[in-house]
Amino acid sequence: MTVRDALNAAMEEEMIRDDSVFILGEEVARYNGAYKVTKGLLDKFGEKRVVDTPITEMGFAGLATGAALAGLRPICEFMTFNFAMQAIDQIVNSAGKTYYMSGGNVPVPIVFRGPNGAAAGVAAQHSQDYAAWYGSIPGLKVVSPWNAEDCKGLLKSAIRDPNPVVFLENEMMYGISFPMSAEAMSEDFLIPIGKCKVERQGSDVTLIAHSKMVTHCLEAADELAKEGIKAEVINLRSIRPLDIDTIKCSVKKTNRLVIVEGGFPAFGVGSEICAQIVESEAFDYLDAPVERVTGADVPTPYATKLEALAFPDTSLIIKVAKRALYRTN
Amino acid sequence: MFRSTTTGTFSALKQSNFLPFRNYSQLRERLPRSQSPIVSRPAFFNSVTFDGQQIPTYRVLDGVGKLLDATFTIEIDEQLARRLYENMQLLPALDNILYNVQRQGKISFYMTTYGEEATITGAAAGLAMNDEVLGQYREMGVLLWRKFGIQQVFAQCFGNQEDMSGKGRQMPVHFGSPEHHFHTISSPLATQIPQAAGVAYALRRMRSGAVAACFFGEGAASEGDFHAGLMLASTIPSPVIFIVRNNGFAISTPSTEQYNGDGIASRGPGYGIDTIRVDGNDVLAVMTAVKEARRRCVEEGRPALVEAMTYRVGHHSTSDDSFAYRPRSEVEDRKRIDNPIVRFRLYMESQGWWNAEAEESLKARLKAEVMKEFKRAESMSLCEVGELFTDVYGGEVPWNIREQREELGSLLKKYSKSWEPWRNQLAKYKNEGQDIMEE
Repeated sequence: MTVRDALNAAMEEEMIRDDSVFILGEEVARYNGAYKVTKGLLDKFGEKRVVDTPITEMGFAGLATGAALAGLRPICEFMTFNFAMQAIDQIVNSAGKTYYMSGGNVPVPIVFRGPNGAAAGVAAQHSQDYAAWYGSIPGLKVVSPWNAEDCKGLLKSAIRDPNPVVFLENEMMYGISFPMSAEAMSEDFLIPIGKCKVERQGSDVTLIAHSKMVTHCLEAADELAKEGIKAEVINLRSIRPLDIDTIKCSVKKTNRLVIVEGGFPAFGVGSEICAQIVESEAFDYLDAPVERVTGADVPTPYATKLEALAFPDTSLIIKVAKRALYRTN
Repeated sequence: MFRSTTTGTFSALKQSNFLPFRNYSQLRERLPRSQSPIVSRPAFFNSVTFDGQQIPTYRVLDGVGKLLDATFTIEIDEQLARRLYENMQLLPALDNILYNVQRQGKISFYMTTYGEEATITGAAAGLAMNDEVLGQYREMGVLLWRKFGIQQVFAQCFGNQEDMSGKGRQMPVHFGSPEHHFHTISSPLATQIPQAAGVAYALRRMRSGAVAACFFGEGAASEGDFHAGLMLASTIPSPVIFIVRNNGFAISTPSTEQYNGDGIASRGPGYGIDTIRVDGNDVLAVMTAVKEARRRCVEEGRPALVEAMTYRVGHHSTSDDSFAYRPRSEVEDRKRIDNPIVRFRLYMESQGWWNAEAEESLKARLKAEVMKEFKRAESMSLCEVGELFTDVYGGEVPWNIREQREELGSLLKKYSKSWEPWRNQLAKYKNEGQDIMEE
């Protein structure tokens, strides 16, 4: 099943299960979504529950927030999270804080979803990763799934969650197919928000990533295995709440930590994990400095070769993992 | 190529219920997806009225409380008039105390309604009690109309343990009450406008017959959210009444610098929204206009816009000194020439519903009630310390919240008895911190 179909199935199942769930955004209905993630939903659920809106992120994110305040469960699709900055006040100040500010009187059950991070050849203003931005806000939950199973189980959990959830997809992953377990195909399949997944066991070095970078880490682990290095690969799945316990356990076992992300380095997801590890008892288990492998600290360039230089790839992760093991410089 | 173009035009015209043409040459005289008539002279325009004049202002009572049109019937009786008047008088009664309470440093912030009593009260009376209200911040009068109570006003402004709006978490005047269908005030300007479109969208699906009412000032109408909100309410469409309090100032910026067009009302037709401008110092005009706007919203499932023209007599907030940007004499003149409370009192007196004696007794009663609740709120404890950490998330409490709570609890346990500053602080909280020390 492709990531795209998994997201589509999650929304369809939850819309069947709960009448108050509806989806809105630019071109989500008749056009089936800019990336076809909402394909077929208009035919199945009609115009009342699959709503095309005019082009105004602050407008439809505000409308979605209002609908959630009034008791519906909206799924608000952004064509990309890069454009959601025009709506970030609604996400952070209204959706994220109203439950607390209202003294627990007014829940805001809403999912903001859409592609996040770098795609291909779309330059600085379409390529940013917002995990760290939303991850810093108390009141929001932030999810960054990797494969089809993640997408289905986490999106279903996000839709059922009583809190606003920022659901960060990746355009490059939409068309990728993954095997699905029978359990994952079931309509009761949920993945808990706030728990990461150890995708591959290992004892020599821990590689942590979210979204598309998990693919690169698994590839790196395969290559490292050929040299006898057993890398443990952790798929973060949730940015907030962050499952730091699982990470600490892994660090205590491998004594070496490499954090990989497609975002900028400064104040990023990797920075946060690194800080939490060095503040904890896991610090005493480290045999090497924590390494962060991130996007370059420049606005993303358009030209293909420059763009490739701006983001981590498998060979870079291999190189850094070896550095953490003192095998190279 | 030619055929397909004209066919497209034809179906577009048909879709918009335009008379179908049989003749292609006639078809070419129309624009695709538009009913705009074709003219042969360049004609610019800069007005939404037929005659190029400013949009008129609807008024029921003249400046001295006489009916402008004696033949026009309004639904008003003595009982309703007394309720309107009492609500209008309660606002300055509260403002007088709470403004000074802030000046004494007992609360951090306050915003008065001085000058806008008729706009707020008239709008509240024009709505149904279960219409969902999304205010900007100066709409305390709507809550008072809905029997929120003076006690809750003080509890919220002091942020004490009786504050049902938000357990002391929000700045003063940022009220909220699901029971009174009043949404929690949000400080960033105008975010409530697109939200109101969403609330109304939900109402249409879940509770037809009710509308959303969204208040904001002429300054907030400069925010992008205003334009986005009106457009969405119109295109999605949703039953929401946008009520603009055009009070002349956005903090220090006069409305003459806020826009160069014909106020906010001129923007309604741009979004295909039924619009009216009303004298905001005339409580009956505001009430009637909002009632009619409401009727249209319910019947057509579409938005309406009411621009109430008023004057902010008070400072923007306690963080503002308006005499830095407007002469004191201007404010004094406005108070004397057109006080919305006096205007309505003159009307009531002319009907034989009010006199000096009733005035004295109402003022004395309101003052006593306000003072009583002020005293009560001032000595009331704050919420439990643990409330700092509740309601960040619904459902299971994440570890980071739990951890902070435990850390504070253990610190208090260790030092609160021996460290005097903490001991004094904790005395102000309900249960003095025991709730988190015991965990």
